[in-house]
Amino acid sequence: MSTKGTNNKVGSVMVVGAGVAGIQASLDMANAGYYVHLVDSSSSVGGLMAQLDKTFPTNDCAMCVISPFLVEVGRHLNINIIPNSELESLEGEAGAFTAKLKNNPRYIDSVKCTACGQCRQVCPVTAVNEFDCRLDLRKATFIKFPQAVPLSYTIDKNVCIGCGMCEKACLAGAISYSDQARFSEIKVGAVVLAMGNELFDPSLFDTYAYSRHPNVVTSLEFERILSASGPYKGHLMRPYDREVPQKIAWLQCIGSRDINHADHSYCSSVCCMYSIKQSMIAKEHAETPLDAAIFYMDMRTHGKEFERYRERAEKGSGVRFIRSRVHTVEPLDDGGLKLKYIPESGEVLEEVFDMVVLAAGFATSKDTKALAQRLGINLNAHSYAQTSDLTPVSTSREGVFVCGTFQSPKDIPQSVMEASAAAAGATQNLSEQRWSLTLTKELPAEKNFSEEEPKIGVFVCNCGINIGGVADVPAVREYAKTLPNVIHAEDNLFTCSQDTQENIKKIILEKGINRVVVASCSPRTHEPLFQETIREIGLNPYLFEMANIRDQNTWVHMKTPQRATDKAKDLVRMAVAKAALLESLPQVTLDVTQAVLVVGGGVAGLEAALGVARQGFVAFLVERSNELGGMALGLNATWQGEPVLPYVMQLIEDAKKNERIKIFLETEVGHVTGTIGNFTTTLKSANNPLDTKVINHGAAILATGGKEYKPHEYFYGKNPKILTHFDLDAAVRNNDKALKDSKIAVFIQCVGSRTEERAYCSRVCCIHSIKSALILKKLNPEMQIFIIYRDIRTYGLREDLYKEARQQGIRFIRYNKDNPPVIDSDNGQELKLTVKDHILQRPIEMNPDLVVLAAAILPNENKTLFEHFKVPANSDGFLVEAHAKLRPVDFASEGLFLAGIAHYPKSIDESIAQAKAAVSRAMRIVSKNTIAVDSVIASVNPDRCAACLTCVRTCPYNVPRVGEEGYAIIEPSDCHGCGCCVSECPGKAITLKHFTDDQINAKTDALFYIEASC
Amino acid sequence: MNHDFEPQIIAFCCKYCAYAAADLAGSMRLNYPSNIKIIQVPCTGRVDIIHLLRAIEDGADGVYVAGCMEGDCHFVCGNIKTRKKVEYVKKTLSELGIEPERVEMFNLSSAMGPRFAEIANQMGERIRNLGPSPLNIKQAA
Amino acid sequence: MIVADRKPLSEILDMITDRDKILIMGCKGCVTVCNVGGVKEVQILSSSLKIARKKEGRSLTVDQITIERQCDPEYIEQVKATINDYDAVISMACGVGPQFLSEAYPQQKFFPAVNTKFFGGATSHGIWEERCAGCGTCVIHYFDGLCPVARCSKSLMNGPCGGSSKGYCEISKEVPCIWDMIVKKKMEQGRLDDLLCFTPAKNWRTSRDGGPRKSVREELAI
Repeated sequence: MSTKGTNNKVGSVMVVGAGVAGIQASLDMANAGYYVHLVDSSSSVGGLMAQLDKTFPTNDCAMCVISPFLVEVGRHLNINIIPNSELESLEGEAGAFTAKLKNNPRYIDSVKCTACGQCRQVCPVTAVNEFDCRLDLRKATFIKFPQAVPLSYTIDKNVCIGCGMCEKACLAGAISYSDQARFSEIKVGAVVLAMGNELFDPSLFDTYAYSRHPNVVTSLEFERILSASGPYKGHLMRPYDREVPQKIAWLQCIGSRDINHADHSYCSSVCCMYSIKQSMIAKEHAETPLDAAIFYMDMRTHGKEFERYRERAEKGSGVRFIRSRVHTVEPLDDGGLKLKYIPESGEVLEEVFDMVVLAAGFATSKDTKALAQRLGINLNAHSYAQTSDLTPVSTSREGVFVCGTFQSPKDIPQSVMEASAAAAGATQNLSEQRWSLTLTKELPAEKNFSEEEPKIGVFVCNCGINIGGVADVPAVREYAKTLPNVIHAEDNLFTCSQDTQENIKKIILEKGINRVVVASCSPRTHEPLFQETIREIGLNPYLFEMANIRDQNTWVHMKTPQRATDKAKDLVRMAVAKAALLESLPQVTLDVTQAVLVVGGGVAGLEAALGVARQGFVAFLVERSNELGGMALGLNATWQGEPVLPYVMQLIEDAKKNERIKIFLETEVGHVTGTIGNFTTTLKSANNPLDTKVINHGAAILATGGKEYKPHEYFYGKNPKILTHFDLDAAVRNNDKALKDSKIAVFIQCVGSRTEERAYCSRVCCIHSIKSALILKKLNPEMQIFIIYRDIRTYGLREDLYKEARQQGIRFIRYNKDNPPVIDSDNGQELKLTVKDHILQRPIEMNPDLVVLAAAILPNENKTLFEHFKVPANSDGFLVEAHAKLRPVDFASEGLFLAGIAHYPKSIDESIAQAKAAVSRAMRIVSKNTIAVDSVIASVNPDRCAACLTCVRTCPYNVPRVGEEGYAIIEPSDCHGCGCCVSECPGKAITLKHFTDDQINAKTDALFYIEASC
Repeated sequence: MNHDFEPQIIAFCCKYCAYAAADLAGSMRLNYPSNIKIIQVPCTGRVDIIHLLRAIEDGADGVYVAGCMEGDCHFVCGNIKTRKKVEYVKKTLSELGIEPERVEMFNLSSAMGPRFAEIANQMGERIRNLGPSPLNIKQAA
Repeated sequence: MIVADRKPLSEILDMITDRDKILIMGCKGCVTVCNVGGVKEVQILSSSLKIARKKEGRSLTVDQITIERQCDPEYIEQVKATINDYDAVISMACGVGPQFLSEAYPQQKFFPAVNTKFFGGATSHGIWEERCAGCGTCVIHYFDGLCPVARCSKSLMNGPCGGSSKGYCEISKEVPCIWDMIVKKKMEQGRLDDLLCFTPAKNWRTSRDGGPRKSVREELAI
């Protein structure tokens, strides 16, 4: 470790909580030049998301999408995972904190543990499996889940009887019963709090029979029930009698929007969506048709693609949506559960279900509250970290940042965005210490074996007794010696252990081995380790091949050892055959242009440009119009009431003053070329297309914003009493006397949103309406105010506004999509509004003096701009991110990022967070001088290319092109390495490195003892 | 049905889903026939018609490709493209008078360890019912 | 481009039934571009034939080569040294390939593996459509870029026949009536009057009807 810089700031950061938010923040910072200490109280990283079955709205498998992140964080040279630990105190100032940690004992040394699982096999104690929500059992020696990171066992001392069996069984000598809690101190420059949240415990309610009846489960328990790796292996069963349920009910808002029992007045933001998801997945799992019913108050599907998801559940999957708060769940003798409820029609109904899922909301845990107190972090009235809308990831203590569900209830993409934003915030004032504490590996030059015959060394692992206890490892070893090109074979107790790694290196050098085969566990977990080892003595990491003789052999064929031995031999023979054909792959690096282009001069664009500049890099800020500020110039206040205009003015002034920011007004983006790290963009004057300028940048952030829909409904623009939100905000700013004089004001929600034409929820309008209604009420307490709505979507802590509005006497009238309110303005300027009241079930009439239309939020039209960057927009015109859950700020094309309303309608705090997140993501690229490109990529042999365009047409990412050269070009930095073009090319002109036809066919040939032929 | 017959089956598995599911099946200690040999590919989109034909030509009694769930391909659509290639190979085998059921495409996610074992068992059973590849019968004779 | 389809395997197998050592020759020209006779298809055919033979318990030796073009003598010359080592040669080029090969190597037997179909292009990946009939007298400019010679089932030159229905030709619901398209395009462009001009009977002598054709360019001929 070297130190640089003259001040006393520290170039490392601590992240507390290793759920998806903590992982994202850690990866961002570690990849942008900071050493990260990632602390978690549990034995593995992964948090709540690791327990989920699928994720909405794509129904992706949660473990599939998170596990690459777990592996990356686990292997990162600059992330120090500190599991089983708690932050005791934080002393010092922003820039130079001292964090005191309590490291709880694990009783199994994770350095020595190879996760062979022998300790679990012999452990005589069973305990409840918390990971499976107590629906299943585990041993006292256990691993949280198979993909855990760090991948090592731990002992649950609460149930361990100290029998010593595991200590005897552990051939790695990793068991240490005498392990004690230790205390440690770490110096860090900033702290990111990402502790997440726990779920509300419904046993508080006796009316739901949760603690009395096994068929009443929480939503998280139901996730585990659905999970293929859960207690029922993905078979839909009810816990009571393991019968397949025919009818399942979901009850929403359990421990949310409830001040009666739960004392949680807020909305948990995610439950509506996860219940829809669970109902659809359950229907898919069910062998017989399943009746799924969701009982709800307001259906809050306010996120991107959520509204369509709900439509799909109702119309496609036949999920029943029943607007009713169920009071009581009554268990019946046969395991059934009787619900009594009053639907909108008003009658009292009874229905029996086989299972009830309680959609439990978020609740801040006692531990988190205690930690906040120890750190001196202010919590708000709901026990979430107190933040301002204009600095959404900053806590009350300088240098301490927050993200995820400890900030407020939210879904995964919002947590991930905030995590990146917190990473940007935490590192902003540490930029002079960037790369000061990070580690780099000094590696010898790679040897060139291209002229040499293959000389293969085979290392067969016993994995304790995991392999050796089943298959005849010495026989496999001796067999390996007989294979072509093998010059050395040996077996090891643990091939992955530190001493074996040293031994492997020694033998490679002694014997002149130039290709290495390890027959052990899975390449998924261990290939990078062995590749690093051989690289340390000058072998290219791609001169390595693995035979998976544990996970895919001895663990599967434990009862047939002879077959396991035979299969191990086959797998080794196949691996050796491929190894003989392996080639070194060059690690291509490209220089990086350390500047960022930001397109759009609204709040998101300004925050992004300032963020880049404050991180120490140049930002080009391009705005089409003649002024900065965008949509926010027309807004008065954030949802928490913070004034917007002074903030925007300050942003503009800061941006103009900052010498690292180059502002281009009345400018549009023309041609864009290049790839991650090196883009060249032509800017042209909006007034004179011939006036152009060329800039170079390493990344780009698109923050092209949106606008308010100009309604053609309800006589908008024809009657001065009918306004939109932006009109009303302007009237309030201008102290328009007409507002104060209004006796009756009506807000109509969903004007232009959630329609056939625009099937999305604009997310911000409910909150904006209620906020404006409260302002009107303040202006004139006598004013009668009505909000005519379809579902009130005051998600998260915004529910406070809804509660306050009701307390202030603002009246809410619900309408259905097919039965919207009608305005009649035939009678001169007098307005007559008719709406059917949902409680009275009859039309009511009023004569409002003021009608405010909650008009939809539309994306700005930027078709050609998006084409220049080759970024996709969805059918509504919003930009499409790389992954709806875990990459909400990235585009699929590397080096391009998005922020703000161009992504989806969102409130100003969310736009700010996303803009900061985009900065953090861009820092991964521009903070480095060079960037490494993946080596497993497609490459074209021009002599064989017929320029037929097959690759151009079949690449999922539109990477190949046929240019003036007359043959296909695949930019190495753009290729994702899937190999689709390779297997389609009619001229066999394209090869995928490390997975060539010859290498793949060699494996098949070897299985059938056919000598490799090309 | 020949009870002594042990079919040789090759499974091309996507690194992101089926291969991980196979590992999970192992860690759950789920059993399936030992003569199924997995070849890892970065995406099923990399699997070429010639790889499947080559396996049959070499003497495999069955071949299958296992990729991500449709719509969930790590590389957008590699699994959809390869499903079509599998169909092509089935057609080719039919033309040659070989049971097309010897070749198959499956989709599963990385969390579906039990499903992986189920597919392996199902495919093993299917091929055992079909008997040895006609290529192997003649050679033995 | 010339568009072709591969022949059924059974037909190809019949051709080589009494031959044990064969060469499969691909072509890097049109047939590679239309995914029927390039390196990839040569490999697939080779493997398929070997599977068929193995199934019969007979062995088959197959060598593979794909040359730049099978319609140029100089490229064909490249296989001279080995061509007679085989019992037969399968050409995966268009119909020109096996003929040029046969002319160059009269001792060898050449079999076509593809059925050559038409001149056309890919309208999207995997779908090729006919556009030109090689009639020898191009008239496309009269019909706004739509050729009635190649694309009308009857090659009518003065408007559609009675078989045009809802935009499709009577021969198949999948074949658009080109005359319907011509008329619509003329209407869109406000040039419907063009069609009042009578197109006299086409002289088919420049087409196949005039017998085999030849093109001589005096200034190029050596």
